[in-house]
Amino acid sequence: MRYAPFYGCMISLKYPQFEAAVRKTCPALGMELVDLEGFSCCPDPIYFKAGDKMIWLTLAARNLCIAEEAGLDIITMCSGCTATLSEAHHILEEDPGLRDEVNIRLKKVGKEYKGEISVRHIVTVLRDDVGLEKVAASVTRPLDDLVVAIHYGCHLLKPSKIMRVDDPNQPTILEDLTRLVGATPVVHSENLLCCGKACISDEMPAEMTRDILDGIAQVNADCMGLICPTCFDEFDLGQLRLSRRFHRKFNIPVVYYFQLLGLAQGLSPRDMGLHMHKIKVHPLLEKLGLPTA
Amino acid sequence: MAKLNFEFRKRLDAIIDGDHHNYCYQCGACVADCPAARYSPDFNPRQIMLLALLGQEEALIGENSPIWLCTNCYTCYERCPQDVRPIEVIIALKNIASGGKRAPGILEQIQKSVNEQGRTVAWSPLVDRRRKELGLEPVKPVPVEEIQKLLEE
Repeated sequence: MRYAPFYGCMISLKYPQFEAAVRKTCPALGMELVDLEGFSCCPDPIYFKAGDKMIWLTLAARNLCIAEEAGLDIITMCSGCTATLSEAHHILEEDPGLRDEVNIRLKKVGKEYKGEISVRHIVTVLRDDVGLEKVAASVTRPLDDLVVAIHYGCHLLKPSKIMRVDDPNQPTILEDLTRLVGATPVVHSENLLCCGKACISDEMPAEMTRDILDGIAQVNADCMGLICPTCFDEFDLGQLRLSRRFHRKFNIPVVYYFQLLGLAQGLSPRDMGLHMHKIKVHPLLEKLGLPTA
Repeated sequence: MAKLNFEFRKRLDAIIDGDHHNYCYQCGACVADCPAARYSPDFNPRQIMLLALLGQEEALIGENSPIWLCTNCYTCYERCPQDVRPIEVIIALKNIASGGKRAPGILEQIQKSVNEQGRTVAWSPLVDRRRKELGLEPVKPVPVEEIQKLLEE
């Protein structure tokens, strides 16, 4: 099982602890990650795409070409990169006219999109290629008693005909993967609400994030479990902003799925970069009997 | 009553998925689960599609346009029975606003960052220090000259 990982800007530069978690947990799953040279920003499906869709599509196609040249499927671990690369792949497959136009542009840099690879979100690789049994078998230290409030984020699931990850209305993939590490996933009242990060307003995202965190507070979870670095930004650093804005303390630790998997595989909290989070994860580490330093 | 602006609609049609606004029959399925509509009375995707059908340029890309409140969640894309893809029409409208220098400054900032560094998050020595602490190699360079060639029209 060889793949070309596409970490993207947010994970590589801002939240490298998620890259570390993916790199350190995949070997035990039998996945080989082959680092390729020359990837750029996916590019960003919000602001860059809002500038010019044709240029957005062209730069995305350039990234796809790099994986094609290596003969490897791309795996994504950022929901934004997934949105861009999966949609670009879909457009280039469905619209021969646009594919030709993109290829005319790519010729300037000696590339040509042929359509020989796929784009997969890493959670689907765990489910469909590695298999849930094998993920469970990699666990040496189950995270017993840990209660995780799952938050899906939008771009992992929608549009479902392009993402093909799970049912966008009643997804289970993150709950299923969370059970495998020995933890107990819980559904909170706003589990499918957008984090609001992509909206150009201060007020709306703050209210959305507040309502999601209040939903989580009601289910007594030890932490929030998610898979999107943009949601993470909104919920980790975001809770500091929210506490100031609403004059009350928001303090729910936020964990990326592969960090949980790493802990369950016996890796240390430090290996998983959990000390880099703004909202301290000490309570859950204490519950698990793990070092907090 | 404002006059229909076919010229604006043609500009919208020329952008990827912008032409899908033509399929809208105003059922409102896009509104019920729209988080921006839930949190702001100023945002209504059905209303935006109606303005697109009427070609109301100023209301759509002018100073008080609601399009920037969209959270980009793709629920409307999921719900629409007509394959209008309201979110994609809204992004197409943003392309027109951006081309006419009528978009919020963050768009230009992101474009500049991708143009100059090939990334949306700026590199600094701190980035590689944190990566090293986690046992990761420094961030791989982006061949920026290739990106710049593709950004030229």
